[in-house]
Amino acid sequence: MERITIDPITRLEGHGKIEIFLDKNGNVENAYLQIPELRGFEQFSIGRPAEEMPRITNRICGVCPEAHHMAATKALDALFDVEPSSAVKKLRELFYCSFYVTDHTVHFYALGGPDFVLGPDSDPAERNILGVIHKVGVDIGIQVIECRKRNHEVIKMLGGRGIHPVAGLPGGWSKSMTKDEQKIILEYAQQNVDFALFSLKLFDDVVLANQAYVDLIVSDAFTHETYYMGTVDEKNLINFYDGMIRVTGPDGKEFVQYPANDYTQHIAERVEPWSYLKFPYLKNIGWKGFVDGMDSGVYCATPLSRLNAADGMATPKAQEHFDRFYETLGSKKSDGRYLPIHHRLATHWARLIELLYAAERMQELAKDPEILDPNVRPIITNTPTEGVGSVEAPRGTLTHHYKTDENGILTDVNLIVGTTNNYAPIAMSIKKAAQGLIKNGKVTEGLLNTIEMAFRNYDPCMSCATHSLPGQMPLEIQIHDADGNLIDTLSQYID
Amino acid sequence: MKTIIIGLGNPILTDDGVGVKVAQLLEETIDMDAHPDLTITEASVGGLRLMETLLGYDRVVLIDAYYLNQQTNEPGKIHHLSLDDLRSVSPTQHSTSAHDTSLVTALDAADKMGYKVPRDFIIYAVEVENILEFSETPTPAVAKAIPVVTSEIIAELSLKTL
Repeated sequence: MERITIDPITRLEGHGKIEIFLDKNGNVENAYLQIPELRGFEQFSIGRPAEEMPRITNRICGVCPEAHHMAATKALDALFDVEPSSAVKKLRELFYCSFYVTDHTVHFYALGGPDFVLGPDSDPAERNILGVIHKVGVDIGIQVIECRKRNHEVIKMLGGRGIHPVAGLPGGWSKSMTKDEQKIILEYAQQNVDFALFSLKLFDDVVLANQAYVDLIVSDAFTHETYYMGTVDEKNLINFYDGMIRVTGPDGKEFVQYPANDYTQHIAERVEPWSYLKFPYLKNIGWKGFVDGMDSGVYCATPLSRLNAADGMATPKAQEHFDRFYETLGSKKSDGRYLPIHHRLATHWARLIELLYAAERMQELAKDPEILDPNVRPIITNTPTEGVGSVEAPRGTLTHHYKTDENGILTDVNLIVGTTNNYAPIAMSIKKAAQGLIKNGKVTEGLLNTIEMAFRNYDPCMSCATHSLPGQMPLEIQIHDADGNLIDTLSQYID
Repeated sequence: MKTIIIGLGNPILTDDGVGVKVAQLLEETIDMDAHPDLTITEASVGGLRLMETLLGYDRVVLIDAYYLNQQTNEPGKIHHLSLDDLRSVSPTQHSTSAHDTSLVTALDAADKMGYKVPRDFIIYAVEVENILEFSETPTPAVAKAIPVVTSEIIAELSLKTL
């Protein structure tokens, strides 16, 4: 069950392609985003010592190496059956929250935000970070770069290396934190909080103050009622690093809560003849097709999903914004928790609330005197067998599962990467967007833009490798008739 | 002139890591003591994160894998490109879901924000065969190109070898 996914909308011609299949009347029957699958990771890993995995798996992806590093490290904890000390957990979580700040920042300012800041109907050539600084000022661009810079410094300080961290050990972390480092990180964390609040204010001013955007967010075209997945702490509040996997229903009620190592009891995969992607779904609900509702096993794992699956945020300012998010979008409370928001475009807002949480959580963790404990490298005594590690990657729950022989040599490896969780919801969102704009075989203008908006809010990561030159390829939409013949191709250049 | 040489790519994805392997060979070959202004590194990032790595340098040498399309692809063929060549590949510079923007867009943004963006770009691109399978070993034609690119960079930058 290997599922390494992806790269490239940016890489290979003919990939990163959206395919739309029409029925006999020329209306949309199926649609999906085609992502090339990287092959052979299992074979590559088998026969290697398991403790190499945090350093190998962080090579899978040039976008979120930190997430793979952390999931792999936690899988080693389980594999060698060693419980990390409280200081180790805090160091790891601090490192991980700093990564979240960089990752959510780039999505909002360079990818998702431009749709709103510049407007969904603006020239695609302008809808990037250049366009954003043109519209709202160079100072914002500098803040974005400075925010990323200071957090990359934290990642390097704690993770031992700039881009591909190396600090994760079974049950430990190779490096403790000094008082000087603590001082710097606290200062940076405060700047992160200010930056997150500034970003939320920008969202208020640019998006929420504009009724047309609010109407777009709550419009039916971008709404799906599905199950939601996220990791929660013992109080059912969001945690990125550790906790139970919680799934809540479209009705807002908890469906299940399980430890990560039970994932095979809860998640199954659907194979469709028209795609080589496998679509994960909730096993105990069952697969009913690409449809919304309580009876459909389709679930979603995104910032919006994490908010919906949790009872709240574990830090005070983020909690205020959490309440405001649900109140503003018209959610009512039921059994003490807000009913879920199903509007997919609200994911951009949810992402900024998570940004604030990550920043506040950094402050809490860095302040904790326990985090300076120098004993962070435990001696391993247990014989390894099998282990599952899971974290919330920015793009969804990330699971690493390893089996080894008694010498710790890998015999089996399975990964479920964040974006994979959302394959079915992404296909549904693309389909809905396409349905509105393709009627009886006639394609309306604006299809490309609308479809891009529909899938971009999921922040699908297709960079689980890296960039080959030339680095930019046209996004292609291919439309097939009921017999599978290609009848139309639309494309525009994208980065 | 403050120079950074960056091998781009994923070293465990067959040919994708050709740039990284050139950078590693350069590190083993060049007398770094003779070039205090030279940095050699590897990276498997693009866009903003790559741009951030380049700030403050005068000259940048990038080595990366290149795959345009199946019909014309010639594994091992070495291209010498400029930043304008990259610019021309993507006429609209529109970012999408790959969670980053293009290097060209990132550099333009940095320039606008007043950062010191390198002016001098030398880009070596090696056509590749297999970038979808995990392996540490490049395909034969690409493996052959590694020492060739290394020598070309040493000659172009007049670097002293060990």
